[in-house]
Amino acid sequence: MEETMTLPQRGGDAERAFLSLQNLEKVYPNGEKAVYNFNLDIDKNEFIVIVGPSGCGKSTTLRMLAGLEDITSGDIFMEGELINYKPCKDRRMAIVFQSYALYPQMNVYDNIAFPLTINKYPMPAVNKVLTADREIRNILNTVPFKKFIGVLYNVFAEKGKTGAKIEEVANIFGISQEAGKLLCGFFLPHKKETLEALGGMEETIRSEIVGKLDGVVAKEREELAKNGISLDEDFHILDENGNAKTEIRSYTPYEIKTRVYETADKLDLTPYLDKLPKELSGGQMQRVALGRAIIKNVPVFLMDEPLSNLDAKLRLTMRSEIVKLHNRINATTVYVTHDQTEAMTMATRIVVMSKGFVQQIGTPEEIYNRPVNIFVAKFIGSPAMNIFEMKLDRAGKCLRSGDFSIPVDGAFIEKHDSFYAEKKEEFSRMCDSFDEAAGEKVLKILSVTGEHGGKRVRKKEKKSIWQSLKRKKTSAEDELEFERSVCEQKRDDLVNLSPEHELIVGIRPERLKIELYDPSKKYDGGFVVKPTVCELLGGEYNVHFDYCGKGMVGQIGAENKVSTKDEVIVRFSAKDIYVFDPITGEVIG
Amino acid sequence: MVKTKRRRTKSERTTLREKIISFCVLFVVSVVWIIPLLYMVGTSFKSELDLQVHPETLFPSAWSEWTLEHYTGFIIREGKIDNMPLWMLNSLWSTLATVGLTVLVDLLTAYAVVFLNFKGKHVLMKFLLLWMAVPSVIGTAPSFAMYSALRNGLGITGSVESYIYIYFWIVVPGITGIFNMLLMRNFFDSIPKDIVESAKSDGASNAKIFFRIVCPLAKSTVMLIVLFTFTGGWNNLLWPQLLLAGESSYWNTITVALTGYTGGSAWGTAGVATATSVFALLPIIIIFIITQNKMIDGLASTGVKG
Repeated sequence: MEETMTLPQRGGDAERAFLSLQNLEKVYPNGEKAVYNFNLDIDKNEFIVIVGPSGCGKSTTLRMLAGLEDITSGDIFMEGELINYKPCKDRRMAIVFQSYALYPQMNVYDNIAFPLTINKYPMPAVNKVLTADREIRNILNTVPFKKFIGVLYNVFAEKGKTGAKIEEVANIFGISQEAGKLLCGFFLPHKKETLEALGGMEETIRSEIVGKLDGVVAKEREELAKNGISLDEDFHILDENGNAKTEIRSYTPYEIKTRVYETADKLDLTPYLDKLPKELSGGQMQRVALGRAIIKNVPVFLMDEPLSNLDAKLRLTMRSEIVKLHNRINATTVYVTHDQTEAMTMATRIVVMSKGFVQQIGTPEEIYNRPVNIFVAKFIGSPAMNIFEMKLDRAGKCLRSGDFSIPVDGAFIEKHDSFYAEKKEEFSRMCDSFDEAAGEKVLKILSVTGEHGGKRVRKKEKKSIWQSLKRKKTSAEDELEFERSVCEQKRDDLVNLSPEHELIVGIRPERLKIELYDPSKKYDGGFVVKPTVCELLGGEYNVHFDYCGKGMVGQIGAENKVSTKDEVIVRFSAKDIYVFDPITGEVIG
Repeated sequence: MVKTKRRRTKSERTTLREKIISFCVLFVVSVVWIIPLLYMVGTSFKSELDLQVHPETLFPSAWSEWTLEHYTGFIIREGKIDNMPLWMLNSLWSTLATVGLTVLVDLLTAYAVVFLNFKGKHVLMKFLLLWMAVPSVIGTAPSFAMYSALRNGLGITGSVESYIYIYFWIVVPGITGIFNMLLMRNFFDSIPKDIVESAKSDGASNAKIFFRIVCPLAKSTVMLIVLFTFTGGWNNLLWPQLLLAGESSYWNTITVALTGYTGGSAWGTAGVATATSVFALLPIIIIFIITQNKMIDGLASTGVKG
């Protein structure tokens, strides 16, 4: 029976998005799974920041995208085209490394020029002679004759090969190699004469050059007519349909030079072009690495913690530089960092990862204001979110911890009940038919709550020859044993939940209202504490204090001279709190 | 004002003691190494009389006893240029060929082992390491058997063919040293992977990475390998002696020829023997002077203790 192979149906997004990562997974040869089920659609000109603690798989994801790492499963589409198996040089992406990865034996110029010197690129085919003719006439009309003849005289006064002289002339006038060659040829009969004599011969030399140019052009035109080649007004060679032909060639030294100077200009690197990387400071090296990425003229930039090796102040300036650059060249950037400040300030969208799982994808505002779980809430924001445990008091319609309470409304209690009902059902379903997917779900929960940190990695043990000889089989059930036991434990926790169980309550330090406590005044709500540490940041203090045995942080304006001897009153509004479930780490409500 | 002498601190005293001990040890070692060398150089300048009367001195006993006749003696014999320069040439070209090929093979092998992924890479590495443990002398007998069998099989009898064939056998086994390849591999391992990956994403093929990125960086290690292989090749005696035995004396390498001067049935005097030895040492000294600066970098970057 014959059956036609059909590819699995791709989501429509893959075609629409500029860059689409679908179900990307990575398992290292030692059996360690670094990335689980990564899904992301990137639009053009987006600045995506992947952020997470070290070892969360963010760099692995980037390297898979760049083609430096094999993809275990999943697909990457670029403008609808599957690029899984494309070598990294064909992916039209430029990558910037944390270590800069400059070539130590080359100077800055060669480093930046490297991508251009080693490849051939498709470029419009141009008739060189006619372009040269136009360039020379342009020079004759714009450059003063004294200067013009002086340059030629000086070049020919030096000793050296003709090739080098042609290149020098071409560089000084900023013309193509062909034009330099022609110009040198025209000057050759006069090279024995003195500068004064040449200065006096302006008219003759002018007319001579123009005359010779006419001759060359006429000859070239005749040649073209004979071969039936047609050109447009910019001397692009046209094919039969009247479209400009492209040829695949490497850049000429002159083109490389202009491109490198252009790029160096953009990055203020021109004074350092002759230096070796080891003579540069960290910021300059980073700019060279950026320059090498820019000069490739590719639509996608990948950056792997490019600012981590810089000092704090430089990091701040480079941060804005990179964003400016991104906007100026209309690039699409994927940026990996472990610094949540960089993520918040640079990104148009943030991807928060932990232990190989994507926790949340969203704009900085969404991530900050509506974290989906406790990991995201704790990771984003500086200082980190304050976390403490409270119990739900249904009768008093409040969250209670000792004699401190936060009022909640009926809607919250409803949400809370439905959340737990749903979770109970979900976990018992998972435990009944425990499979690979359920195992992954358990691992994701652990990545949020941070429990069982050490045990999470399930290494597929390498089978030694001896083991394979013994044919000892490990069943699939054994491999999922850990996940299953965790899942059952979580289910039991959920089922045996007491009506007044603990909930995790979080509040951002910026939302705490802290005032110096004045015993004569009457306050409603809030609690009075003694600060343990007061850090002056300039405009404000970070006030650390203990409450219910938990260290907490809040902020107070610097105009209040607060010290550890004072007492402060801490208040906050009930709408600013986040409530998380301690079992799954997810947000309630 | 009275200057009181400051008592040395404890660490100063220890370092001084360490210095004295290490100086003594190093002095003894270097004397043991250097005296034969000085004796050789000195003896080569002694006159025939002084050789007989004062064999115990390092250098000629008086200014009048200094002579160059041993040097001129072996270069020009009986009014004609002797074979010595020819032997030098034999040694030189075969050694240079060995050096060049060794560097090429080591660079390529190390690049493959470090930067390429292929099946059996680790097995290959283990095999090579194991091979290093086998003394090269063990291979001599089978190699010689193969050499003569091939020679008979190919029917090489002509003098030019034989010369080329013998020198092929002198050069080629010399390039298979694993140690130098390991040096190279250690160096390549120390190159940050980011550099190679960035070159890859810039669009460089393996050949481009090899020639434009990796090789320029490996200069100092190459120098180290050049020095090691050159001394090894130049001093190689056993194998060439085996192959060249019974062949025309014009074909000898310098080491094989020197055995004629210094061995039990030597035809030269002690003076000529030492003079030829000094002469044979010159290329190695020259190579050492050329490579020494780079070599020290190489030693540092490959983690080899000198």
